[in-house]
Amino acid sequence: MRSGFWAICLALMTASVFAADRWQFSSRTAISAQPSSGLFHQLGGAGRKHIAIAGQSVAVVWEDNRNGDPQVYAAVKQTTDQAFSPSIQVSAGSESYEPTIASVADGVFAISWEQDAEIHVRLLLGSGLSDAVRLSTGTAAQATIAAAQAKVYVAWPEQSARQWTLKVARLGVSESRQLTLESTVAVEAQALATPLLFPTLAAKAEALCVAWEDRRAGHTRILSSFSGDQGLSFSPPQNLNEFYSNRNAYDMGNGVTRVALAAFGEDEVVATWMDKRRGGAGYGIFASLGADGGEFFGPNEKVHGEQGDRQPHYNPAAAGNMAGEFVVAWDDFRRGDSDIWLSSYNDDMEWSEDFAPPVAAGQGEQSHPSIALDEQGNLHLVWIERADLAAPTRLWYSFGQRVPD
Amino acid sequence: MSKLLSSYRQHLLSLLCLLFFPVFSVVAAPPETYKFLSLTEAMQQASAQNKPMFLYFGRYGCSTCRKMHKEVFTNDEMQEKYNRDFVLAYVDTESGKRIKLPSGERMTEMQFASRNRILGTPTFIYFSKEQKPLFKKAGFQSIEQMNAYGDFIRGGHYQTKTLKQYLAAK
Repeated sequence: MRSGFWAICLALMTASVFAADRWQFSSRTAISAQPSSGLFHQLGGAGRKHIAIAGQSVAVVWEDNRNGDPQVYAAVKQTTDQAFSPSIQVSAGSESYEPTIASVADGVFAISWEQDAEIHVRLLLGSGLSDAVRLSTGTAAQATIAAAQAKVYVAWPEQSARQWTLKVARLGVSESRQLTLESTVAVEAQALATPLLFPTLAAKAEALCVAWEDRRAGHTRILSSFSGDQGLSFSPPQNLNEFYSNRNAYDMGNGVTRVALAAFGEDEVVATWMDKRRGGAGYGIFASLGADGGEFFGPNEKVHGEQGDRQPHYNPAAAGNMAGEFVVAWDDFRRGDSDIWLSSYNDDMEWSEDFAPPVAAGQGEQSHPSIALDEQGNLHLVWIERADLAAPTRLWYSFGQRVPD
Repeated sequence: MSKLLSSYRQHLLSLLCLLFFPVFSVVAAPPETYKFLSLTEAMQQASAQNKPMFLYFGRYGCSTCRKMHKEVFTNDEMQEKYNRDFVLAYVDTESGKRIKLPSGERMTEMQFASRNRILGTPTFIYFSKEQKPLFKKAGFQSIEQMNAYGDFIRGGHYQTKTLKQYLAAK
């Protein structure tokens, strides 16, 4: 009996150590200069894809107001470099918002963003940019991006005459390294009177999965749709989140919002989102694993550990790699001010204990994480830091070295 | 309570001059027979008219919000008093609608709600006519409670009493 007790304790300790030691974050790199009064960075793109790895290059994309109006900027570095390049302005127009980024090929990234209520996309090639391509025709925002097999996919909600449509564009890359628009389709042929919001994409070979916030049911649900023909047609939407109701006659389901997708393995997808099923504790972080490129999703799983059960959590992001690894990041203020937290599956195929990388936790407010996993399992993390909630911001990056099992 | 209100004051008062950047016209669902405005419009109007503000944090599909809309906000007396005596503001706690603070920082209504630690909906914050946040109420509130809160502000009782003292003496 006594030895059994110690065996359980040892197993729990091992699991804990495993979670905390999966990545070793030894240092961090500032992407932006010292905080400056009135300067604020934003990492609020749909699906939270603000960092990508393309071969030996790491690129980060964000929005800031350095010139008064919000514009989109990017910075890039080789994985072996200590510092990022000076920032490159990606957008034009009077106001630009909420960029997202995906890797296309070695050293080649694609960036989508909103510019004056239009959706634009262009390539980032080292320190250069391809021509921008305008994708939307109606009022549009909240663009999200993914890429696979040299195809770039951008999804966005579009509003025209008070009707909503979720659109997905597919683009190819020409020999002259320009983006060429190959198709733009609506996920559903029928436009809706209710909003479609904050989409996210996961692409793998021929498969493309799109998920979004949908209000057609009278409350918000996370829906997903699958394309097996590289974005030319989509399956009817399916519910991604399980919803809980019957608390009273008016209850149609708990709140859910801000879904993020990431492809991993051969054809799997991880979805994560904020979910209010816990009642008065605010949003929890929940997830579901999808098979066949996101055509089917499994049951919902709570990501954060028991320590976070009574706290609200925000800004979930997901990342995966071909090796079959995946990880979810978010922020919460369980320790007083906001820190970045991570969780991934442990060897028992369960979500690990929550892990706050020391480089993105502690004094001050660390929030709005975005993550990418490289093929060696190293975790690349970018986030916003500020001294307090009203202070100016700074962008940080850290490399989490994968510790061998 | 005073610490809580101090925190709200810090965050909410900074919004008195905020600007609004429309992208999508996404409105959750404040009660239709009330004159709810966006946060920006309401703060401007409350300042211009020297009226107290009633700030309602809701969520699309929120069950307790629906229950209050059907069982509380339908009360004729309450409706008349709130429409007459307050400038009414509505914030959708899951909205991507953009606001900009005087500091230059922009945020979404959702970020505004999370920064103000709004964990559940509905949550109501009552402001004085001087635009100072006085108290917060979260969850279901009855007609009697809503009318009492309104009377507390309308009668200027907040200048001499706490809400708790006022309700105890009532």
